[in-house]
Order: sequence, then C-alpha cells, then structure tokens
Amino acid sequence: MKQRHQRYFLLTACCMISALAVGGCKKSSNDGVTEIEIVQYKPEAAGYFKALEEEFNAAHDDIHLTISSPNDAMTILKTRFIREDYPDIIGIGGDINYSYFVDAEILADVSEYKGISEIKQAYIDIDEALELVPVDGIYAVPYAANAAGILYNKDLFQEHGWKIPETWEELMTLCKEIQSEGILPFYFGFKDTWTCLAPWNAIAVDLAPADTAKQVNRGNTTFSAEYREVSEKYLELLQYGPNDPFAYGYNDACTAFARGESAMYTIGSYAIPQILSVNPNLNLDSFVMPANSDKTANTLNSGIDLQFCVTADCENKEAAYEVLDFLYEDKNIQKYIDAQNSIPCKEGDFKLASVLDGMKNYIEVGNMTDFQDHYYPSEMAVDAQLQTFLIQKDVDAFLKKFDKDWKRYNRDIIRMVQEYEAKNTEK
Amino acid sequence: MKNERKRTFLLITIPILALFICFNTIPLIRGVIYSFTNFKGFGNYDWVGLRNYLDLFTDIRVGKSYWFTFKLAVVTTIVVNVISLLLALALNSKIRAKSFFRGAYFLPNILGALVVGYIFNYFFTYILPALGEMIGMDALKSSILSNPNTAWIGIMIVCAWQAIAMNTIIYISGLQTVPEDVYEAGNIDGATGWKKFRHLTFPLIIPFFSINMVLCMKNFLMAFDQIMALTKGGPAQSTESISYLIYNNGMSGGQFGFQSANAVVFFIVIVIISVTQMKITSSKEEQL
Amino acid sequence: MIKVKEKANWPVMIFLILGLSAIAFPLYMTITIAFKQPSEMTNSISGILSLPKAWSFENFREAMKVTDFWNSLRNSLLITVISVVLSILIHSLMGYTLGRNRAKNKFYNFVYLFIVSGMFVPFAILMMPLAKQTAEIGLANWFGVVILYVVFYMPMNILLYSGYLVNIPMALEEAARVDGASTWTTYWKIIFPIMKPMHATVAVLTALSVWNDVMTPLVIMAGSDQNTLPLAQLNFQSQFGTNYNLAFASYLLSLIPILVFYVICQKQILNGVVNGAVK
Repeated sequence: MKQRHQRYFLLTACCMISALAVGGCKKSSNDGVTEIEIVQYKPEAAGYFKALEEEFNAAHDDIHLTISSPNDAMTILKTRFIREDYPDIIGIGGDINYSYFVDAEILADVSEYKGISEIKQAYIDIDEALELVPVDGIYAVPYAANAAGILYNKDLFQEHGWKIPETWEELMTLCKEIQSEGILPFYFGFKDTWTCLAPWNAIAVDLAPADTAKQVNRGNTTFSAEYREVSEKYLELLQYGPNDPFAYGYNDACTAFARGESAMYTIGSYAIPQILSVNPNLNLDSFVMPANSDKTANTLNSGIDLQFCVTADCENKEAAYEVLDFLYEDKNIQKYIDAQNSIPCKEGDFKLASVLDGMKNYIEVGNMTDFQDHYYPSEMAVDAQLQTFLIQKDVDAFLKKFDKDWKRYNRDIIRMVQEYEAKNTEK
Repeated sequence: MKNERKRTFLLITIPILALFICFNTIPLIRGVIYSFTNFKGFGNYDWVGLRNYLDLFTDIRVGKSYWFTFKLAVVTTIVVNVISLLLALALNSKIRAKSFFRGAYFLPNILGALVVGYIFNYFFTYILPALGEMIGMDALKSSILSNPNTAWIGIMIVCAWQAIAMNTIIYISGLQTVPEDVYEAGNIDGATGWKKFRHLTFPLIIPFFSINMVLCMKNFLMAFDQIMALTKGGPAQSTESISYLIYNNGMSGGQFGFQSANAVVFFIVIVIISVTQMKITSSKEEQL
Repeated sequence: MIKVKEKANWPVMIFLILGLSAIAFPLYMTITIAFKQPSEMTNSISGILSLPKAWSFENFREAMKVTDFWNSLRNSLLITVISVVLSILIHSLMGYTLGRNRAKNKFYNFVYLFIVSGMFVPFAILMMPLAKQTAEIGLANWFGVVILYVVFYMPMNILLYSGYLVNIPMALEEAARVDGASTWTTYWKIIFPIMKPMHATVAVLTALSVWNDVMTPLVIMAGSDQNTLPLAQLNFQSQFGTNYNLAFASYLLSLIPILVFYVICQKQILNGVVNGAVK
C-alpha cells in the first residue's frame, strides 16, 4: 500500500518534470512559408484586421500573416519583449510608449521602405518629435490619426439656431446661451480620469507650444509659464458641465450625450462608436476647440492613433514590407477610417467620415498639432493630477506640482536630453 | 519508526519547497534586483543603487497610498469578519432551504470585476443619491465616489460585499469541526445565545478566525481589482492603493524599477504585520 | 447524532432573507442588462431597473461567438480542474507535514512561515521575472499557468490545511502507527479523508480564484493562440467603448460552471465531519 502510493507520487512528479521539458518545443514551420506576426493595440478594430488577415493569406502562398488585436496589448507586448519573443510588426499609437520603444532599440529603421514616401510629412514629423533625443532613421509608418475637439448634437444646434464658435469668447457666449435655455452645454465623465485629458489637450494645442515638454526637458521654459492660460480656461469650461462631473464615468457621459442630455461633449473621435451604440440615430458632428481669441491661431488636436513598426528582431524585412504594402493599400485604409472615424496618414484622396465635417478645413490644410499628453509619462498620472486640479480649482498649486513632478518622473530623460545637448553644442 | 516518520516528512517537504522557491522566491529575488535599477520593463537599464528606496521615503504619493491602503484594510477586515461570522452562524443553524441560501450568499464572489464595477458604479452614482434625496439625507445626495473624503467607503463596501462569501465559507467549515456534544454539554449548562458563542463556539473556531484575519489583511492590503473597477485611484488620487501604484506605474507605466522597490518594502511591511498577527492569535489559541 | 427534528429558526431566516436583498439586487441588474440592447441603456433609474424590451438570447449567442465560448471554456476548465486537483494533493500533504511539525521543529516552522509569507508578494513584482522565467524553460503555455497557480495558492491553502489540523487529534494517527502503518500510508488512509471538508473549502477557493484570474494567463500565455474565458471576456471592454450587454451575458454564462461546482462542494463541507471520526 505504502509503496504504491509513493510510486504515484513519484509518477506525478515525473509527469510534471517531463511536461516541463516537452512544453518547451515551440512550433517552427520551415516549409518555405514566411511567418509574419502583427500585434496591434486597438481591439476595437479587431474585426477589420481579421478580415485583412484572411484576405492577405488567401492571396499569398509564400507569406503567412497573423494579426492579433488583444485587449491590453501593451501588457502583452511588454511581457513578450521581456521574453525576447518579438512579433514582426507591432501596431501602436504615437505616444510615449513609442518614444520608449525607439529608445530601447526595439524597433527597426524603416527608412528604406518605399511606402514611406506616400505618408504625409506632418505625421513623420510628429513621430520624429516623439523621439526622446533625435535618432537617425524612421521607426514607424503612421497609419491613421484621430482628432479631438468638441462633439456636438447637430439637431439641438439647428433647432436653437446656435452657431459653431470660432473663438474662446464665442464659445463662452454660446455656453451661456445654451445654459439660459435650460440645456446643459457640456457633459463630462471625469470619474474616469483619462477623460480629463481630452479637453486639456484640445485647449493646450491652441495655447501652448507643440514642443512644450521638450523645451522643459531642455530647461528652456516651465509648465507654470506655458500652461497657466490652459488651466484657467479649463476651469472656465468646467462651469458649463454637470453639477458633479466627478460622479460620472466615460460611459455615463457617452450615454448622457447620446440621449441629448447635453449639447456638446469634449472628447475625441474615438468616442463616436460608443455614443452611437446607445443612440444610432444621433445626428453628430464635431468642431475644433477654439481656445484662442484669434481664430486663425486655433489648431486641430490630432495625433497618430495607429502606426506600424517593424521590430529590430524581424528576420524577413522584405516580407514585412510586403505586408505593409498590403495594409497601406488605399482601399484598406479607406475601410479602416470608415470603421474608426479616423484620419488617414497617407497622402491620397480619401473620404472622411461625416462626423469630422466640422474639422475638415483643418485636416485638409494640415493645421494639426499632436496631443500634449503623448509626451507625458503615464506613471506621472497627469490625468489624475488634472482631476485633482479640477476638484480643488487651485491653478498655482497644480502648476507647481506639475513642474515638480515632471522633474521627478522624467529625471533620466532630462539627463539624457541635456547630455545630448551638451554633446551637440560642443561640436 | 521515528526515523521513518522524519524521512517521509523530509521527502515531502523538499520537492514542494523546491517548487515554491523556483516559482516564487527566485522571481522575487529577480524583482528585488530590478529594484536597484531604473528598468522600465523593457530595453536597457542602469544601476541606480539605493535611489529608488530613497525616493520611496520622500514620495508623497506613496505615503498617501500607504495611509489609504491601511485604512481600507483595517476597516474592511473588521466589517467582513463580523458579518461573515454572523452569516456563518446563521447559515449553519436550523433553517429551511439551506443550500439555496448558501449558494445565494456565495454569488458575489463569482461575479466578474467588470460586472461588479458597473453595478456598484451605477449604485453609487445614481441610485444612492436618489435614495438620499428621498429620505432627505444630505450626505448621500451626491455620489460618495466623487468625493475624495468618502470614496474609500465605496471601495470598502464593494470589497466587503465580495469578500464576505469567502470568509463565510471558511467560518462554516470551521463550525463543522465543533462537535455536537460541545453544544449538548453547553445546553445542559444552560448556556444560550451570546454566552454560548463566546465561551463554547468561538474558542473552538479561533484557528479559523486567525486564518480569516490573515486572508483578509492579505486581500485588502493588496486590493486592486475593486479599485480598478470603481475609481481607478480617483477622485483626486485619494484611492490609490499600494498595489494599484505598483501595477499601474510599474507594469503599465515605465517605473518598473521604482515600483519593484515599492513592492519589496510593502512585502516586508505586510510580512511583519502578519507574523505579529499570527503570533498574537496563536498565543490566544494556546491559552484556550 | 440522534436529534429530534427541530423547527426552523425563523428569526435567523428573516435575517438571511433581508441580507439576500444585497445580492438579489445586483443579480437582477446583471440579468436584465444581459438581456438588453445597447440602445436600452440609460442613466435614469427607472430605465435601468426596467425589464428588457424583449427576452431574446441573442446577446448570449453573440457573446458565445465573440469569446469562442466552447474553446475558451475547455481551456478554463482544463486549467481549473488540474490546478484544483494538484492543489488538494500537494497542499494538503504539505499542510499536514508543516502543521504537524512546526510546533516543535524550528526548520518546519521556518518553512511554514517562509511559504505563508509568500502570500504577500505583490504579483506585479513577480510578473515580469515570471514571464521571462517561464519562457526560458518552455512553460509559456497553459501548463505553466497551472504550475504557477499551484505555487501561488500554496501559502493560502497551507494556512487553511494546517489550521484545520489543529482540530484533528494526534491520537488518530498514533493509533494507526501502533498498528504498524507508515506515516505515508497513515496520511492517505486516515488524515486525508478526514480533511474532506477542508478539501472542499480549498477546492472552492482555489477554483474560484483560478476561474476568474486574468493576469496570470494574460502574462504567461501571451502570444499563444489559446484563451481562457476571462481572457476572451476582455474583448468586450476597451478604453473607448464597452459593450456591457454582451459582457454581462458572457459573465452570466461563465458563472454557471463555478456555481454548480460550489454547490457540489458545499455538500462535502457539510457531510465531512459528520461522517468522520472526529470526536
């Protein structure tokens, strides 16, 4: 009896050990077919990419493409990077993660990819600006951009004869007018801290230099100087929202706006599908946040929402470029921007979604400025700091903390930038 | 005979301990090593010596998160243990539809975080204020989650709501070890109600009480899901728990090295607390 | 156990029924939302409390499609069942060994505290190193996830088992030992069956934690094509839009297996001691 049991125990132990060994064999297909794997970070576009994957594989014998669109892709990407298990192509946004990945030398220089020439220069410049310190080469191919400003309920506007404001004063007058008619001008979902960034970015692009963060890193200016007006105007805007905006989340705000409980909603184009899911008949349009008194000084808040980067580890660059060629075909991009209400980064004659009508002029002439928050490190939690600021309404304290925390969270980057500057001025 | 017993125990302990060390201790040591670097979670990193640890003690945000976490843990632990002990006694007494009640009270534990988050957000944002209006209580008229001073109460309620099921199960299984004859003896002595509980039942389930205390402290000191589901650290950063900071800034953000240092310090703090706690309860166990 | 059949304790039942409302209400919301359409979602109280316009199982069907339900369910079941079985076997053995020896042996007491304190290691600090380590030894798959669960829940389960042992008298095993049975045999023949209520408790707690866990499979199995149910359910939510109706339907579906499992185990928790010889 005793021995039998002990044997079972040993057997289990052996099984576990052998499973450890066997589990290690990874799939390797070497029948002349090149495997290309893409991991892209927008799960809401999963359906689109699934269709593309099938279409591509049906047309190609020599390359097999897999596109995964996982939720929480950043966690997945980071854990795969630490395992040194790099996908061939990654689809990410143009934000600070991209800056980090370039700095970590995870991405390959794609300047040789001929498709680059067809991408709008403005977006290539945005990517270049995102590099912590200037690096030679191009590390991403921008795909689609989003735009943030103010979404408005077209029916309500027409009904009351309200005009689209073009300056800050007009916007404030409009808000007063809307309020006087017993309608809520704005809905805010500030319980979800990230939504605090949407109005902030839209105001900041109008009022602060696009490279504020970089200038601060170089020691040329401070946020207290650049962001004062932004903060003050943000507080003014707050008065026209619901009573206790910190009680409502993003989802509540989308639902309320979709149901016509407010005339406007300061958010990006990414919120449109969620709003329309609640009320598919909503007549929706958008306009640029007019934070300046001079309407020519206003600019559209737009940044790269999705771009594809080839990893340095990718063995078959030619195959990767072939996949990129396919992704960047005009008809595919058109399908993508239709589904996501986004702006193409490629030159060409694309049809924009009608909800972007109010922003069209800006898009066509290229009057667009990247989100300020694409330069903020996420651990600094600027979104939460903004929420705190909106609750406490203390501009000085907020700006002082912003400057102080910036130095604390960006210590290594500032050191890197200043070393780089010193080296370049010596030359 | 003695040696056989000793050898068997050793043969059992060593492989299991090895497994544990391999997948818990070794990764922990690796984590500790990262805490001396400015590692972002990927790419290159530099050694920064004790900088992360020094920063930790000057970081107001970390200090605030400690205060919040301990406040939450202590209050929730008390609330949960009182309610689940009552529930366990009730569910263990002579009632009809026992299985139904036991099943029903177990439900909160299985609802996913997304569902719990949505429902309680709705409850705190819309239903509770409406209730407040109805009965004219000013304190309830605005959402408790939107006020930095009260948001932790909302999180406490949800943590307790979810955790009571588990603690009740442990208490119920503890009550099963109380032999019937103890009660019978007690009945003869005329012990009833509170007295019976205090002098007969409770001493016998003290091991389970201490298990529950440790598990509660562990669960609530490491509260994370409920915070993600309800407030995401807001409003005004008033509900950032330590685990939230470690995960959010270390994993999602680029502060892996610094948050590893935070995790190491936090780990040491909890171990000290729980060992003390276990020492106290086990000395109580011995007294009885 | 000869007992006169007593009357139900009505005050206690009333207390329980009142307490039930704290569960019934969220459950009611979950069920109605699972049947509603996104366009039926409102911010008004009467709107959210109202019944869905139509009781259609369309959401459930759609949710099953989105999550690839049967495959994900299979993976989840596989991981959960194996983790629970291994946990019961390994942890009870270890809990017994440590529980019986730690009072008088410093080494075992140290091992006990060492393992139990492992409970307090924040998962976030282990995540990166574990992702790397499991990949290095080829365990970046479901089996690696199972091993990790066996390790993660070891502290809690050992705490439970050795706590339970306190109430099991030594006399039982001593009697067996006098009969000449080895420690190993005594354990499996006598102690293991007596701990049945605890096995059921451990099974419930472990199964529940495993069943709902997202992070471990997300980090360890990232890049493999396999999904567990909670991983697949992540598809319903993203920062910019969450389909609560589908998500709720899916959560209701995944709640059923674990609830059934709990009800079965609950019986064992009850029966255990009555049948056992602990007196």
